[in-house]
Amino acid sequence: MTSLIVEGVRLSVPDMAVPVLNVDHLMIGSGAHVAITGGSGSGKSSLLNVLSGLERPTAGRVVWEAVDIAALSESGRDRWRAEHVGLVMQDFHLFPGLSALENVLLPAKLARVASEALKQRAGELLVKVGLSRPDQHVETMSRGEMQRVAIARALLREPGIIVADEPTASLDAESGEAVANLLLSIAVETGCTLLVASHDPRLVERMKRRIAMRAGEIVSDTVDAESSA
Amino acid sequence: MISFILADLRRLWLGAAVMILLVALATALGVTVTLQERALRLGSARAADRFDLVVSAAGSETQLVLSSVFLQPSPLPLMPGDVLAKLNADPRVAWAAPVGFGDSFLGHPIVGTTTKLITGTTTGFSAGAVFAHEGEAVVGAGVDLPVGAEVKPMHGTAETGGETHKEIAYRVVGKLKPTGTPWDRAILVPVQAVWHLHGLGAHDDHDDDHDHADTAGAANAPAEPEHHDEHDHHHGHVDADAPVNEAFTQEAPGLPAILVKPKTIADAYRLRQEYRSGSTLAVFPGEVLTKLYATLGDAKFVLAAVSAGSQVLVAAALLLVSLIHVGQRRRQIGALRAFGAPRTAVFSIVWSELFGLVALGIGLGFALGYTGARFIGTAFTTQTGVILPVEFAMEDWRMASALLLLAALFAAIPALLAYRQSPAQALRA
Ligand SMILES: Nc1ncnc2c1ncn2[C@@H]1O[C@H](COP(=O)(O)OP(=O)(O)OP(=O)(O)O)[C@@H](O)[C@H]1O
Ligand SMILES: [Mg+2]
Repeated sequence: MTSLIVEGVRLSVPDMAVPVLNVDHLMIGSGAHVAITGGSGSGKSSLLNVLSGLERPTAGRVVWEAVDIAALSESGRDRWRAEHVGLVMQDFHLFPGLSALENVLLPAKLARVASEALKQRAGELLVKVGLSRPDQHVETMSRGEMQRVAIARALLREPGIIVADEPTASLDAESGEAVANLLLSIAVETGCTLLVASHDPRLVERMKRRIAMRAGEIVSDTVDAESSA
Repeated sequence: MISFILADLRRLWLGAAVMILLVALATALGVTVTLQERALRLGSARAADRFDLVVSAAGSETQLVLSSVFLQPSPLPLMPGDVLAKLNADPRVAWAAPVGFGDSFLGHPIVGTTTKLITGTTTGFSAGAVFAHEGEAVVGAGVDLPVGAEVKPMHGTAETGGETHKEIAYRVVGKLKPTGTPWDRAILVPVQAVWHLHGLGAHDDHDDDHDHADTAGAANAPAEPEHHDEHDHHHGHVDADAPVNEAFTQEAPGLPAILVKPKTIADAYRLRQEYRSGSTLAVFPGEVLTKLYATLGDAKFVLAAVSAGSQVLVAAALLLVSLIHVGQRRRQIGALRAFGAPRTAVFSIVWSELFGLVALGIGLGFALGYTGARFIGTAFTTQTGVILPVEFAMEDWRMASALLLLAALFAAIPALLAYRQSPAQALRA
């Protein structure tokens, strides 16, 4: 759905001489399924943060479908992300004390965009990710269920991009597998661009394109022969 | 947003409750001090209101006001009886009434006085009428005695070991409407009865040295025990059925105080000037109270400083707690934004959560402070009869607004901190 062009992106942090991210050129086609791999500290999360607008690069352009999000203001990037990116993180980041449904709707409510249609969609999404009790409080759920709630939340506003940072890392093999299946099937179904940073071979191997990183730079970029993402 | 805040507060209810309580207590302290101080000032001023000018023998002004306006038992020196006759004859005086203290009944002071004083300083009777005979009494609204009840005067008060006069039992013939002054607690009897009871006055046939200090003390405050025996010898006889005689002559016995109603304000000042010299003292009770407050002003300042100090401490503690709290919740706040909540929503959440708690605490503090002041006021009224008008004034609402404004600004500090937090950094932590 949404294509990306990255040019000359550097991300520097105050106490380090070399930039933690240094990507001269990267293109990702609309609807691509991309795995980002690399050792701990190689810059996977940094790259995803820059691509999702969570962090502004020190230099360079991050152009999603003609919008250079690196040039947007902090609030502008927040707004853009809310509309275009569904985020899934290793640590779920659900809010205890609220039900699964309330968690799915929370960001939309806070952004004052939670229409009746969206509320209905939230319920449907919970069913879709395999949860039958939308009113269950999230703190009483298993980790696998929590990540499903997080995925439903990411999908609520029909994002063109799904960004997942180690979505299976804190789950056991079985739940990890289920979450991986869910992410892939949804990406296929909706045609959205899927970016996943992961160590998990079961997830990585199922992505058509794999980008390997080391020390903040892209060291290899392979595409499975049978596809052309 | 509301549901999120409520869920958040439900989770942190204990901390939130402690916070509200702290704010409430600090606010209540300040409110009680302010309300109580104002009530005391207003209440005592109102009590003194009915007393234009009080004349007594030279002595302490404060003592005189405490005894005459507030009916606190204390020994007042006596002045010669002719002062009363002189005042009554003065064209600048509307009326002048003697006030004789010293006896009590069931803890209520018995005050010897005249019908003029009763009609001049009260708002009428709720039952019965004014006394017409020497053995009759009128009770204030705060005295729990019905018309027809018997009053057996006790010399001094029970606490000071007084003894009961056996010569007379007054009969209550009237009950006054409430005036909100200590006189509500008094039992008013004809002054001539007090004189006769203590062996003074024109009818007395075995003692006419009414200026003698010892004897004079009898019509006054409780004296030391050994004096009691001495008084007993002077006790005269009382004719309960004798009509009340309020034509006071030069021969009237010594008096602790005379209440004077001047005709004009100018007369009041002139009279005070005249009776301030030599052996008598004349005061405007309101003015004496004002002087008294000036002295008490320092105490008020200390109290106000203590309550302001406690408020500052609580504010500082709250600020610290909320900053720590926001710091601890960096991840949550970062996540909210990462998933699409605008920064302004993050600001509003932190701000409203904190401001809501503090505002609730302030509201509760005002209610608590008011209740506290009312409680103290009621206890004070039961004890002294002075009604303390505990009520909020315009300046209290100004103070509440100022507190709320301060709370709003305070709450903005952690909210701004949350607003400025980078979501990526927060999620890394
Ligand atoms: N704000 C920051 N301050 C200092 N160093 C940072 C900051 N952000 C990132 N880094 C550094 O940048 C490097 C890349 O971090 P990043 O989180 O992108 O790695 P990662 O590949 O996601 O690692 P992991 O697999 O452990 O999640 C690390 O060495 C990290 O310490
Ligand atoms: Mg990472």
